[in-house]
Amino acid sequence: MTSTDLMTLMPLMILAGGSVLVLLSGAVKPGGYLYGLAGALITAALLWNLLIPVDAGMPGLAVTPFSRFFATFLDSAGLIALLLASGYNRRRGIICEEYPATILFALAGMGAACAATDLLMLFLGLEAFTFAFYILVAIQRDSAKGGEAGLKYLLNGTLSAAILAMGMALVYAARGSLKLSELASANGTPEPLFMAGACLILLGMAFKLSLVPAHLWTADVYQGAPAPVTALLSTASKGASLAALLLLLPLFGRWRGLHDILWLTVLFSMVAGNLAALVQSNLKRMLAWSSVGQMGYIALALVALPAGGAGAAVFYLVGYAAAGLTAFGVISVLSGEGEDEQDTIETYRGLGYRNPLAGATLAVAMFSLAGIPPTAGFMGKFAVFSSALRSGEYALALVGILSAMVAVFFYLRLVVVMYMKPAEQPEETIRTLNISEIIVLLVPAAVMVLLGVYPQPLLELLEKILP
Amino acid sequence: MLNHYPLLTILIFLPLAGCLLLLPFWNRAAIARSVAFGIAAVELALAGWLYSSWRVLEGAPTKLPGYLLLEDAPWIPAFGIRYTLGLDGISLLMVMLTSFTFCVALAVSWNAIKERVALFLTLMLVMEAGIMGVFLSLDLALFYLFWEIMLIPMFFLIGIWGHGRKIYSTLKFFLFTMFGSLLMLLAIIALHLLHARQSGVSTFGLPELLHTTLPFATQLWLFAAFFLAFAIKFPLFPLHTWLPDAHTDAPTAGSVVLAGLLLKTGSYGLIRFGYPLFPLAAQALTPLFYTLALLGIFYASLVAFAQEDMKRLIAYSSIGHMGYVAIGIAAWQPVALSGSILQMANHGVTTGALFCLIGMLDERAHTREIAAFGGVWGKMPLWSFFFLIFSLTSIGVPGLNSFVGEFLILAGTIKQSPLVVILSFVGIVLPLIYMVRLVQEVLFQKERQPLALTDLNLREITILAALLLLDLWVGVHPAPLLDMIHLPVQLLTGVAP
Repeated sequence: MTSTDLMTLMPLMILAGGSVLVLLSGAVKPGGYLYGLAGALITAALLWNLLIPVDAGMPGLAVTPFSRFFATFLDSAGLIALLLASGYNRRRGIICEEYPATILFALAGMGAACAATDLLMLFLGLEAFTFAFYILVAIQRDSAKGGEAGLKYLLNGTLSAAILAMGMALVYAARGSLKLSELASANGTPEPLFMAGACLILLGMAFKLSLVPAHLWTADVYQGAPAPVTALLSTASKGASLAALLLLLPLFGRWRGLHDILWLTVLFSMVAGNLAALVQSNLKRMLAWSSVGQMGYIALALVALPAGGAGAAVFYLVGYAAAGLTAFGVISVLSGEGEDEQDTIETYRGLGYRNPLAGATLAVAMFSLAGIPPTAGFMGKFAVFSSALRSGEYALALVGILSAMVAVFFYLRLVVVMYMKPAEQPEETIRTLNISEIIVLLVPAAVMVLLGVYPQPLLELLEKILP
Repeated sequence: MLNHYPLLTILIFLPLAGCLLLLPFWNRAAIARSVAFGIAAVELALAGWLYSSWRVLEGAPTKLPGYLLLEDAPWIPAFGIRYTLGLDGISLLMVMLTSFTFCVALAVSWNAIKERVALFLTLMLVMEAGIMGVFLSLDLALFYLFWEIMLIPMFFLIGIWGHGRKIYSTLKFFLFTMFGSLLMLLAIIALHLLHARQSGVSTFGLPELLHTTLPFATQLWLFAAFFLAFAIKFPLFPLHTWLPDAHTDAPTAGSVVLAGLLLKTGSYGLIRFGYPLFPLAAQALTPLFYTLALLGIFYASLVAFAQEDMKRLIAYSSIGHMGYVAIGIAAWQPVALSGSILQMANHGVTTGALFCLIGMLDERAHTREIAAFGGVWGKMPLWSFFFLIFSLTSIGVPGLNSFVGEFLILAGTIKQSPLVVILSFVGIVLPLIYMVRLVQEVLFQKERQPLALTDLNLREITILAALLLLDLWVGVHPAPLLDMIHLPVQLLTGVAP
């Protein structure tokens, strides 16, 4: 391994090695300082990514502008989720070194998935972070809901991992190669064995992205997992999966069947996600179902891949992640010491006045998810629908806009509860936020507004780094 | 000289900057009110100054014929969106109306809003910025952005400070308008793509998009989406149901802005974007437009007659009056269109004044039931005087502003379709019936409930006097305003080259 290779791989090594380091330090001296240590390690990886841009390839991995963009994005989300968790876990008695160590491990896996150049490494990365989430979802051992969610995620996850592995095996059997570049460059109509494998891979990815028909785990897992874990699961894991999917899509070449499969997936995800979210009374379940719809919009951009859809999808994802981190962040910081989190919508009555910062950031997140300007969500929808119309997907665009209309209703319902319904006990005070919580809520909210007002730099960047 | 300064940007962003000024006074309502009113007053002064110098500006033409001021800068090149603002006579009239209406709305809610005052003022200023943006944007994407932004403050305004079924009303208002807007967004993007395919230029600019050649069927689809969005705001007959609820449950300031400005954004959008972009489709749909407008006039007038709540009655009368604006636009002929544009401003003044009056009465009596009042003239002579005058305006008595607008609309339309004009003349009589009933029951009958009513104070008299002054000015001497919109109207209707 040359020194250049070492330099390029350093962020991944910091994260993976850091995970072990945190685990060992925890064994020697457990305590809250481990969150600080993990935070410092993520920051180091993040800064390395940003400040030392060395692009190089090695067997299985290649650090490219694409992978560095995603690594930066994922590490930022991970850092925010870690900060959210530090206070949350202290209040709820989840003090153990496993938590920060597992987060570091998850981020290492995600980083590997984004930088993969062959199927094996891609699988390794994807399953590494999924494995980390098996632990994180059920980390609150005394919580029945957490246990149930963990089991559901584990069962569904292993099944999808098996499907993914089977798909990759079939692809390998058909072509005799695992390299993504070699698999993609093959011309002509793909042979049936290859196609079967590719479709299985697509199904496995649909699980990770919560797309119909592999979306059913989403609501239960989002609800049962601790809120800071859901914050990471609904943003970073989706981001890494999208990156992986963007790496995998060239496998299909110009096969028309891909379009048809995605078309149906998008249609049902948009409609099912948004309609199911309409009837939820639990905020986490509502966000979970709506995320199925949101992923539908991202996949809509992928249907329009030839018309610049990739940039739209990634832009949309960044906006969605900012909103998701904010929303689950607010749930995290509001959940006190009691057994249940503050996650039923009715308990948010009057929040806008009882805790103006949490209320305002959550409202911004809802407006962004609903796609109302001036937020990132609007610009994301603008990009997605532009590329959909450009590639002639009129029907999908129309259904998408109408389902977005439905979504406006349930997102605004939360705003109505927060600002227009008086709290049942007006004197009931909400715990005051400390400085790190304030920053953690303000940063994603600021990102949403900034991207909503001036999206140009990010759009330019995406144009450059996406193939 | 004037066009060396970004005056239009200032018009839009000054209220937003004003929100920051409010922050230090978040818990000191009295100062916050003065600061917000000060900002609105500066806006009004700015609009007045632009009005006083529009002839000078016309002498130094901009790149676009008819436009007095233009501002243009790249904003999101990746999407082809530019920050293009333009001011012509029509926009100037709307800018004047906006700045004036916000002064009125802030002044009228001086004592009525007692809770969360700073939040209220912030929302009002954001809304002023949004509405200014709608009236000044010449880039369709920018226009859409402002079009949506102005909804958010109104959503909170009705939901937080409203009465009655405020949450139902505000959600209904928001969802109705969003429904139309979202389809319009698709149409805007589609138009952009069609233009890009034809000319290779990726742009949302109105001046460029006007040159897109579209087959009739495409025009029809796109126009339908635009028309739906604007017709909901207008509101035209079957799409009007959100309006009575929103008006009735909104606080007075909200009603004033809603009636005075938000409805105008619908008619303005149709004049600025809908008709010029899709002339063939617009022409084909003219009979439908006429029919809906006439149905609205008759239906709203009949329903208004049956109302027991004064505010709801005025809300319905608003639908009827906007029907005339719709007829003038549908005729798409210089005289009628001038009438429509003038009537948009007139309606803002008249209906705004009526909502102010009802709000003042409500503050004292805590009811708006017509049946609760009677003999108010004896107790509140000043209030009654203003109420009578503005009711007369609403009926269309000559010498007051509505008469001028309605006369121009009908005079212009009669050449195009005499039948419509005959029917609308019948429609003109209907407001007479319900307004006379309202005036007679509230002002003149015997007192039905012992209500302790005090007459207007100085602040209220000033507001109403200012409104009355405008009412009379346009009623007696509309020529300066008509001159101001003359050239843009000629250009729009294709009379001038």
